[in-house]
Amino acid sequence: MSLAIPQGLDNTVEQPGERAPLVLGDTTYHDITESVCRVAERAPSKGWIIGFLISFALLQWLGLCILYLFYEGVGVWGNRSPIFWGWPIVNFVFWVGIGHAGTLISAILFLFRQEWRTSINRAAEAMTIFAVICAATFPGIHVGRAWLAFWLAPYPSLNLWMWPQFRSPLLWDVFAVSTYGTVSLLFWYMGMVPDLATFRDRSKNKYRRMAYGLLSLGWSGSSRHWMRYEKAYAILAALAAPLVLSVHTIVSFDFAVSQVPGWHTTIFPPYFVAGAIFSGFAMVLTLMVPARSMLNLEKLITIRHLDNMCKIILATGSIVGLAYSTEFFIAWYGQVDAEIFAFVNRAFGPYWWAYWIMVTCNVISPQLFWFKKCRTTPWIIVVISIFVNIGMWFERFVIVCTSLSRDYLPSAWAYFTPTWVDWSMLIGSFGLFFTLFLLFCRLMPVINMAETKSTLAKQYHMAHNDEH
Amino acid sequence: MSDDSNEKKVHGLFAEYDSVDSLLAACRRVRDAGYTKTDAFAPFAVHGIDTALGIKPSKLPYIPLVAGLTGTGIAMLMQIWMNGINYPYIISGKPYVLSIPAFMPVAFEVTVLLASFGAFFGMWALNGLPRFSNPMFTDPRFDRATDDRFFLFIDAKDQRFDAEGVRQLFADTGSQYINTVVEDDTPKQIPRFLLIVWALLVGFSIIPALIVAKMRVTNSDKPRFHIFMDMDFSPARDAQQTTSLFADNRAMRPDVPGTVARGQLGDGLDYLTGINVDELSRMDSPRAEQLVRTFLKPQDDDEADAAGPPAAPSAEQAASADQTASVMDTTPWLKENPLEITADLLDKGQEQFNIYCAVCHGRNGKGNGLVNQRAQQILAQQWIPPASLHQDILQQDKYPDGKLFSTISNGIRKMPGYSGQIKTRDRWAIVAYVRALQQSRRASIDLIPADKREEITQLKTEIDKKLAEQAEAERKKQEEGEQQAAKS
Repeated sequence: MSLAIPQGLDNTVEQPGERAPLVLGDTTYHDITESVCRVAERAPSKGWIIGFLISFALLQWLGLCILYLFYEGVGVWGNRSPIFWGWPIVNFVFWVGIGHAGTLISAILFLFRQEWRTSINRAAEAMTIFAVICAATFPGIHVGRAWLAFWLAPYPSLNLWMWPQFRSPLLWDVFAVSTYGTVSLLFWYMGMVPDLATFRDRSKNKYRRMAYGLLSLGWSGSSRHWMRYEKAYAILAALAAPLVLSVHTIVSFDFAVSQVPGWHTTIFPPYFVAGAIFSGFAMVLTLMVPARSMLNLEKLITIRHLDNMCKIILATGSIVGLAYSTEFFIAWYGQVDAEIFAFVNRAFGPYWWAYWIMVTCNVISPQLFWFKKCRTTPWIIVVISIFVNIGMWFERFVIVCTSLSRDYLPSAWAYFTPTWVDWSMLIGSFGLFFTLFLLFCRLMPVINMAETKSTLAKQYHMAHNDEH
Repeated sequence: MSDDSNEKKVHGLFAEYDSVDSLLAACRRVRDAGYTKTDAFAPFAVHGIDTALGIKPSKLPYIPLVAGLTGTGIAMLMQIWMNGINYPYIISGKPYVLSIPAFMPVAFEVTVLLASFGAFFGMWALNGLPRFSNPMFTDPRFDRATDDRFFLFIDAKDQRFDAEGVRQLFADTGSQYINTVVEDDTPKQIPRFLLIVWALLVGFSIIPALIVAKMRVTNSDKPRFHIFMDMDFSPARDAQQTTSLFADNRAMRPDVPGTVARGQLGDGLDYLTGINVDELSRMDSPRAEQLVRTFLKPQDDDEADAAGPPAAPSAEQAASADQTASVMDTTPWLKENPLEITADLLDKGQEQFNIYCAVCHGRNGKGNGLVNQRAQQILAQQWIPPASLHQDILQQDKYPDGKLFSTISNGIRKMPGYSGQIKTRDRWAIVAYVRALQQSRRASIDLIPADKREEITQLKTEIDKKLAEQAEAERKKQEEGEQQAAKS
């Protein structure tokens, strides 16, 4: 039982009247099981061990920095009047944005029946959850007394009987990010249960079988279960789609609802959502392109998948570029001195270097994806994706720091200088992210086997029909 | 396996297939044969299996719908109650009970959260999962149901179930592997050691919470225990303690260079009081001693403030008691202003006089300032009109500069003392200006340089004329007013 698709087939070419195959090679259901399970079953490769040790060391460093922060206070950061937000909030917005691609792939592309999502959605969802964990760390420690962060919950504080202020975007943010994290976790876990059952049934080791048995909740593959499961999956996707749009909208409210020049614009919600998807896809590609060759998953994560994601990066990158120019237009058109100053200062003031790094990385570099050669060459994709990640970090830096550093009172104006703790925490957050991601690669099914098999079944079905 | 399974209770029969198409074909045959208690097992969701097996659509979507609506309701009520009713946050006078637009984001998020919980947990509940003991799992061959094989199962509880018939039916559908499933008779109880571990974990996890709860209701004379010091912990030091913050290790810091303490200004007591203290000490040494103590050594701030500088008796005492009046008379006041009289000093005095004194005494010192005019208008009953500064008794020969200074500083009758508001030097400047003001009313034309006398005389005539006209107009107006009042 197999389907002969030539090994070297270029599935990025559209054939009229035919669907391009998404699973390549002489692949069977069992081959999919094998290639995905092998990743977790065989001994870790040298590359994995080195990568894990580096990220784990960075994670420890992040932990030490956080302890130092708690002990010493927020003065260890470069946050000084009037730039009280500084890098912690830059990092928060950066990481939340990264997460969005995962939900977009798993929910929105699912609702649009984009079947190419099946082999990348699992890793992208995992990325979402790990990115949300990184993101949630920063506002958590930025509140200064992190051990009192539970005051954000709607709980009457012990001595004052006061409730949180529900008209503040900062509180909306708490609800949005925690809901987003929870729903993403449910979605991710639910999607994994059938694959965890596969892991369970392949386990030779008793304890491994017990662990995966517990995680897979006794999944048997009954068709009644599958029907309800599919329904629940579609409902969760339908709920997660507006949710993902709402999350970065609400994050942008943190800025837009304030009256700081350069922040107080209605363009922020769509502009932030596009930027989030943009950065998220860049991060997916940064992770998946090396992972697919290291884990030998080229037949499942094909060039066509990469090609499609590059197109999304090109589209969202252009939206972001349009947003940058719209901001300038509105600043001029609105004729408010403070707004005009904020934007001129952004591009030509003391942070001009950050602004132009942002424009180069975010607007100019993705334009290379107009060329098919660039969309289908893995190393070019990785380079551009890393540029986009850098550019999107700078976008948040530019938004947070240029506006805050030019306060209403010129005597308060200041220039933001990061400290070594700022740098350590930014790098350490990547340690946290990669530690979790590498653990996920070892312990969990990195590709949604069940859905990929069902894509393969459709391919069989079409091939079968063609024969007749 | 099938040999000894005969003794166990039969759960059902299953057949294995290697493709979706053969599974679907078998499902249709089984359905058409009239079996209802059937199920198919596959490694992925097989589309079309519901009709092939005759499975009804799930009721699942209602659960997230209800859960989501509950979420909306809870979120809206929570926000309205917390921010509008229980602890109203009123900001800029905006609506606070029903600020719907501001409550939307949280309502949306909670709706999505609860609807997702509904879909997620509802699905597992309807599926009867988690269920770790399943008879299907007893056959190792069934492990491939999550890999690449498809299984069709007919339950022994089905009315038409007959082991041989079903086996035959399965064989007809082209299955390569058919087997009987027996009930799983492995013990269903959770192993004892797991229960013990679980109980221990729960027990230990409660301990910290119990400790916190106990601490909260227990009184203690020790300071509160802080893992991290809050702002209510102030590392302030006592006067004689040491500190590592400064090189000299003293917690109590010496005065910043240039600090001037009260009474250390170096000004003489005469200058501060307007009294010739040397002479006073000869005449009335206790009072002089008191003066010295008050001005040079404030023993205790509260006491000094409460007492006030007793340089001169208070206004009421001065007005009522003969004895104190005589004190006022006998005090050896400074006859002359101790400052050098310059044009700058007079300008300063004028400025200060117009700020502090003119409101009552009038800019010209005749005692008809705005406050007095208003008081006359409203006929304030207990109003004591401010004195005209041009009276004879206030001239320098009868009212020495020191006494005038003391009056400005300490007040008289209804007039409060101004020592708190006006600096010592400025009070002396006012004294100088008042003298100049008095002089302006009594000076003879001879004092003016000869070449300017003509000009001044002309000016005086013009001003007198204008004043007379004004007075006439005022009088007429008043008369008209009285006539009208009489008519009505």
